[in-house]
Amino acid sequence: MMSNGGAKGPENVNPQVYQPSERRVLTADEENEDIVDKFDCREVFDMVRQINDPEHPLTLEELNVVQINHIEVDDERNRVVVLYTPTIPHCSMATLIGLAIRVKLLRSLPERFKVDVRIYEGSHVSEVAVNKQLADKERVAAALENSHLLDVINQCLAVQKK
Amino acid sequence: MSSLKLLQDLVAHDDRVWCVKWNPTGTLLASCGSDKKIVLWGEEEGKWVAKVHLTEAHERTIRAVAWSPTGTYLASCSFDKTICIWKRDDTGVFGAIATLEGHENEVKCVAWSVSGEYLASCSRDKTVWIWSCEYDDEYDCLSVLHSHSQDVKKICWSPVEDVLVSCSYDNTVKCFKDDGDDWTCTDTLTGHESTVWAVAFDGTGKRLVTCSDDRTVKIWQRFNALDNSASQKPGWHCVCTLSGYHDRAIFDVDWSAIHGAIVSTGADDCIRIFEENLTAQDPLREPEFFAAASMPRAHSQDVNAVSWNPVRGHLLASCSDDGLVKIWTYARPE
Amino acid sequence: MDGFSGTLRLTDLNDFIAPTQECIKPVKIERKSGKLSAIKITSSGDYAEVDSHGVETKLVKAQITLNDCLACSGCVTSAETVLIQLQSAEELCRVLDENAKVSAAERKLVVVSVSAQAFASLANRYQLTMKECEEKFCGFLRSMGVDRVYDMGAASALALKETQREFVDRYRSGDRKSALPMLTSACPGWICYAEKTHGLFILPFISTTKSPQQIMGSLVKNHLAEHQCKSPSQIYHVTVMMCYDKKLEASRDDFYDDLYRTRDVDCVVTSLEVEQMLEQRNLVLSQCESVPLDRLPGVESSFHAVGGGAGGYLENILSFAAKELFQTEIGPIEYKVIRNQDFREVTISVNGEPKLHFAAAYGFRNIQNIVQKMKRGKCPYDFVEIMACPSACLNGGGQIRPPDPSVAKIWLQNVQQLFDSLDCQKLENVQWVQQLYDAWIGPQDDDRKRLQLLHTQYHSLENKSNALNIKW
Repeated sequence: MMSNGGAKGPENVNPQVYQPSERRVLTADEENEDIVDKFDCREVFDMVRQINDPEHPLTLEELNVVQINHIEVDDERNRVVVLYTPTIPHCSMATLIGLAIRVKLLRSLPERFKVDVRIYEGSHVSEVAVNKQLADKERVAAALENSHLLDVINQCLAVQKK
Repeated sequence: MSSLKLLQDLVAHDDRVWCVKWNPTGTLLASCGSDKKIVLWGEEEGKWVAKVHLTEAHERTIRAVAWSPTGTYLASCSFDKTICIWKRDDTGVFGAIATLEGHENEVKCVAWSVSGEYLASCSRDKTVWIWSCEYDDEYDCLSVLHSHSQDVKKICWSPVEDVLVSCSYDNTVKCFKDDGDDWTCTDTLTGHESTVWAVAFDGTGKRLVTCSDDRTVKIWQRFNALDNSASQKPGWHCVCTLSGYHDRAIFDVDWSAIHGAIVSTGADDCIRIFEENLTAQDPLREPEFFAAASMPRAHSQDVNAVSWNPVRGHLLASCSDDGLVKIWTYARPE
Repeated sequence: MDGFSGTLRLTDLNDFIAPTQECIKPVKIERKSGKLSAIKITSSGDYAEVDSHGVETKLVKAQITLNDCLACSGCVTSAETVLIQLQSAEELCRVLDENAKVSAAERKLVVVSVSAQAFASLANRYQLTMKECEEKFCGFLRSMGVDRVYDMGAASALALKETQREFVDRYRSGDRKSALPMLTSACPGWICYAEKTHGLFILPFISTTKSPQQIMGSLVKNHLAEHQCKSPSQIYHVTVMMCYDKKLEASRDDFYDDLYRTRDVDCVVTSLEVEQMLEQRNLVLSQCESVPLDRLPGVESSFHAVGGGAGGYLENILSFAAKELFQTEIGPIEYKVIRNQDFREVTISVNGEPKLHFAAAYGFRNIQNIVQKMKRGKCPYDFVEIMACPSACLNGGGQIRPPDPSVAKIWLQNVQQLFDSLDCQKLENVQWVQQLYDAWIGPQDDDRKRLQLLHTQYHSLENKSNALNIKW
């Protein structure tokens, strides 16, 4: 077993696995194309729940990294806040996971939204530093021009065949 | 009451626009961005049009551009770690004449000293570099400054002397000067609670304005030993903090040398203008600034930079994630 | 990180990732049965594993050796904690204590080699002359149980001699594109930067001659060992140096002897750490007993090279090359200062025609100009003495700090003056150097021994970092 931010395997080898939520049932209004839907937590949660963990063959929902009640959406003010919870407090993948969530939302949400992706308070040793990093649009922009990093992100965002 | 009015939308970029800069005579506006392209805009029959597209010099996002004091040279810096120097020939055509390498990561800003003698650059690699600009278009590295502990976001030179100021993700602002053999950090300005995104001098070089991820704009003033101010020790001191105006990160500020108005902008898509209250001027009291004008949805996304025209003081340029460059006219109170 | 040269500091974005996340080097750890467990941070800040029964086990931090760090293209900087474990005054004291306890047969011969720059720093700190400092420091080390104390004159002489030969060979090879300018290799900060940043492009230009520290290592573990009929592993060799980067150099795989499982230099201690050692013992160097330095077999007198605190490469190679290649004796060298005191050049003309163009470039900014000039094919020099620290080695990161930063310049000047007070000689005027060379290396055409004992190699470190750990 290799560890310490190991290149050969995940740090948290036996993470707690959670049951994914039921598929969302579409209401009649939602199916009616004439009605403009407002974005809500559930919709944003659906965007991020299937993101793959960089190390485990599991989704962020299965690892409980993203939870619907840790998402705030204010459609009128164009604000989205996603708080995520790394599986372990020193998880070295925390920044990468945050970046994956951020990129997923950048690609999925209309441009009018201001998105904040942060660590759920108290769940990571480097919370402040990770949050600052994720909030820095210039660093995020530069990171996404790094093809190796982008490959990893795209793998996280690829839809898993189940 | 002052007012800010949109003069024109400038469309030419295909992606986020990171930086806008007027040339020293105020006749050309340079813009650059994630589409790896620099556009030079000029006025034709009262309309601003894209005159030149400078491409193929950088492999990644062009983060910033800077004009030399004579307007003959333009420097661009990129996430590809390089700086490119462009020179205008006699026919007015710009060509790339040099590529400066050395930074280990993204170069985030470039700036020419007022004498034209030096070029400064700063980077994600936490360093500030000072380059000498020789008559034969050779650029040598004069200094590599490791004073910041995090990436350096922006740099600017004093308009009156060879003093460089930088601001950083480490929440500080630093001043640098040549001590005869090497450049050294002479002052560190602390007070911001998060990344300091931008810094600009006023026309006299005695004041600075900074803006930050902490959503405040701060005005700093340099006190000399000779200043008859008993309250302040010599050095830079924060004399005014403007908070409560922007509700997200503030990415850029500029201070007009012509009329003294400060413009700020950021992630709240809004452009704001502040003026100093000069009526109650008492040298012993701290200066007062007030919000003179604002444009709430100036762009449809984050506004990344603003720049006052250095000659036609009422003209203001801005650029945004929405891919647009905009020119605004600012009318001051009588 | 303070002690390392600025050049080393630049080479990575090690800032953001917290200590637990910094290292990307995989390390083997013990793992018991894979029961479901959680990891939490205890109140004392340690990590503990909590198993399904709620039992907490404190987790042991993974150990990474300095070698792991050096072989990795990631950060240079996490090496620091490792350095503290392996290359420190504490480690030296631990070895000395242990050595005192074991039987005579198991006891190691403890050898300390001290660089002239470190002597100058100590002499300045304790207000001694160079000679007094050498003897007092020798006395202090002896009192701690050190068996031999040498200066590094012999190593420095052999390093210069071999570099002279290498330069003339390169010059004559006619292959000026890949052979010249020859860049010196004595500064490990510069080597580390070159390997990590400019790899394949720059390495062919770097002199393969070992640095004085590593030649001293070979002298002690090979020449002295043979003379004493000991195996290299029976000698514990410590150097006292001017810079932290020297610890990285000593730890390189190239200087590890697989057969005897020993390094040429086992431990590097800086001048600054010596000051701390003295302070911990409430000692002042001037109060220590004076004991004359030892001499390696074949070394007849002390040797200090002309040409300054960076080892005298430029001057000694220049005068040898002028004579050897152009039958020209050069007088005192007149430098032309380019931009700043740390960038100087000198040109030797023969019959009015410039023939040899040498430069000294110290500090990162000047290294940068040399490297960029080379990349643009515009480097006019045949030889460059390159050092990572501004003002070169007397100002090394491991030297004793001034009591107050405001007197730093005078402090350095005083160290410089002390160093200059040494009786400096030109290499060719010292008789025993050739004899030592012949006696140890053998006839000059025995390349195998010469390359093994006096030369090394460099390795381009491509950025192979794990994509999961890219810092941004």
